[in-house]
Order: sequence, then C-alpha cells, then structure tokens
Amino acid sequence: MSSKTLIKQGAEAKLYSATFHGRPCIVKERFKKSYRHPSLDQSLTNQRIKSEVRALLRSRMNGVRTPTVYFVDLETSQICMEEIRDSVTVRDYIMSVQKSQSLEDSIVQLKPLGRKIGETLAVLHQNNIVHGDLTTSNMLLQSDPMNLNLVMIDFGLSHFENLAEDKGVDLYVLERAILSTHPNSDEFFSEILDSYTQSNPGSADVIAKLDEVRMRGRKRTMVG
Amino acid sequence: MKGLFEATLLKTSLILDPFQVIVAVNKAVHQQKINKMMTKTVHSEILFSLSPRKNISNAFKTFGMGDKDTSVFVAILNDHDKSTMSVIQNLIKGRQVDPYQVSELTNLQSIKEVYNLSETELSVSNTLDAVVSRIASKDIVQV
Repeated sequence: MSSKTLIKQGAEAKLYSATFHGRPCIVKERFKKSYRHPSLDQSLTNQRIKSEVRALLRSRMNGVRTPTVYFVDLETSQICMEEIRDSVTVRDYIMSVQKSQSLEDSIVQLKPLGRKIGETLAVLHQNNIVHGDLTTSNMLLQSDPMNLNLVMIDFGLSHFENLAEDKGVDLYVLERAILSTHPNSDEFFSEILDSYTQSNPGSADVIAKLDEVRMRGRKRTMVG
Repeated sequence: MKGLFEATLLKTSLILDPFQVIVAVNKAVHQQKINKMMTKTVHSEILFSLSPRKNISNAFKTFGMGDKDTSVFVAILNDHDKSTMSVIQNLIKGRQVDPYQVSELTNLQSIKEVYNLSETELSVSNTLDAVVSRIASKDIVQV
C-alpha cells in the first residue's frame, strides 16, 4: 500500500485515500479509544471490522452493489476497499435536483431513485442484513445518477438479525435522516416505503414496527 | 521435488487476472509477517489464500498446477536479482507470455464453481471483484 491521505474522520474510524497495487482504494482505519480498557477495545474493534466485512460480502452476494474488499488487517484494524470512482452521494444528488427545478418536477424526477432505494433495502432486509446507519450519505450513485447504479457503503454498524424490530428501526433511522436533511422529502420517503413493501413479502411486520418506533423513538424503553 | 527454486505454480484455468494473485500474495505475505500462516511456507500460503475454503490439501489440489496442465502461472517473491526467475525460465520448456494473457487460459465456469458465484451477484459485480472479495474476507466469512 502506498502513502495515504486522510479524507474523512468520523467518531469510529478514519478514512484514507490510497492505492492498492495500482488501484485507487479507501482505507478505513478504526482507531483506539483510550477511554476503553485495551482488551475490550481490541475485541470490540475486531468484532466491528468483521461484521462490516461480512455485511459487505453478503450484500454483494445477494445482488446489492458494495465496495470490493481488497485486504483486511485485524492487527492495525484496517479495511482496504475499492474506491467507488465517479460517484455522488444520494444526498448531494437530491440536493442538486431540488435546487435546479421546481418542487413538483423534483418529486417526479426523484421517484425512480426512491423506488430503487426501497427495492435495495428490501433485498437487504430479506436476507437479514440490517445496515444500522441508513442515511442518504451512505448511498452512492455511480456514473450517471439517472442510471441508478446504487452502491451501499459504510456497513460499520450493521448486524444480522431476523427481527422486525431491528428492521423497523433501520427504516426509522432512514426516515429521520431523510426528513431532517432534505426539506419537502415526505413523498420521496413514502416512495421508498411503497417499493419496500412491494418487494419484501415480510414487510407487514416491519411496517407495523416502524409505526411503533415512530411513537416511541429508536430506543426501546427499558423500564422494569 | 528437488528444491531447485522457491515459487508458487498455479493452475491457469482458475486465474482470472494477475490482480487476483496479487491480492492472495498480499494476504500470504501479511500472514507471514504476523506469524499467523496456516501453512509451512509463504509460497504454499499463496495457494491457500487463493482458495475460498479452509481445507489446505484441497486448496493445493485445486489451485496448484496439475500434472496434465499445459500452462502454468508462476508467482515468485523477493526475487530482486531475478535469480529464481532465471532458474525457472531455464527449467520450463515453453513460451513465456505476459501475465495479463492469463485471461485467455481462464475457465470461467470452473471459477464460478470453485468460488461459488451466483448470477445474482454477477449482475451487480464483475467476476474479478467477486473473486477478490472472497479471497480478502475468507478468514471472516465462509461462503
């Protein structure tokens, strides 16, 4: 691996841009948390790297495009993966569409994207992959956004669970993220839910949970 | 085995692109560095890394050059003075071609079988990415 430059820093990890034997890649490095006991820290970090890699591979195997993993180093807590070149985040795309045209036109134009996102989430949830951090920044559109080449990224909080609760929370997190980042996006989210419901036969329970979660918030009340 | 040289001889029909070998070598060298090799030498570790499964002898049989093969993909490590390379060039009676021409010798059907690639996956990913993903995440996910 060649020299790497820092491109993003989050709460859990740093992202570097580098090359892996001639290919542009992203290195995601989970750093040490000094407030945690070292051995606990190491085991949590390892667990998260493993679940991320697992989710990346399992999503791809089920037909959801994710970055290709090139190398995993548990010693230095790094994942080296394909850089999705020539892409925009769904967030930026929605913003540019909303900026360039009237509200009515932008709703019409974003409709196919909403359908695609709903279908993709249905595939993930049918295979019990819960993303854990669904936001419009964690979805990329590669090359021409009109082609809807949707790439899902950042599976750092993902887990495998066949519980309507977790899937409902997943949708709730996305709903909150969309409604708070994008003004006038109610119809966009209902498009996502519609296509999710149509493509996922087991969606009834999940939607019921979503309604429940909306009432109480993401965290279950743990009284008694 | 006379121990004339140290290298990995790979079955060309299961190699799609030199990058597939690079990813496996990268992993083998890393395992050697941290003393966590599953096999005895770094060259056999390359064979093992290429395989999506954890059975060592099976990996050797599947990915190693076979007795009846008429082509071979050779991976050599640390050969800065090209000494191993010249030994091998003298031993092999054949025509040397560019590593990227390995794609002409690939058997896509057996690659799909060995790496368990489904049409669903290949609809969103090219074959090389699918193979590389499996090699890189083998310790973590079994397919």
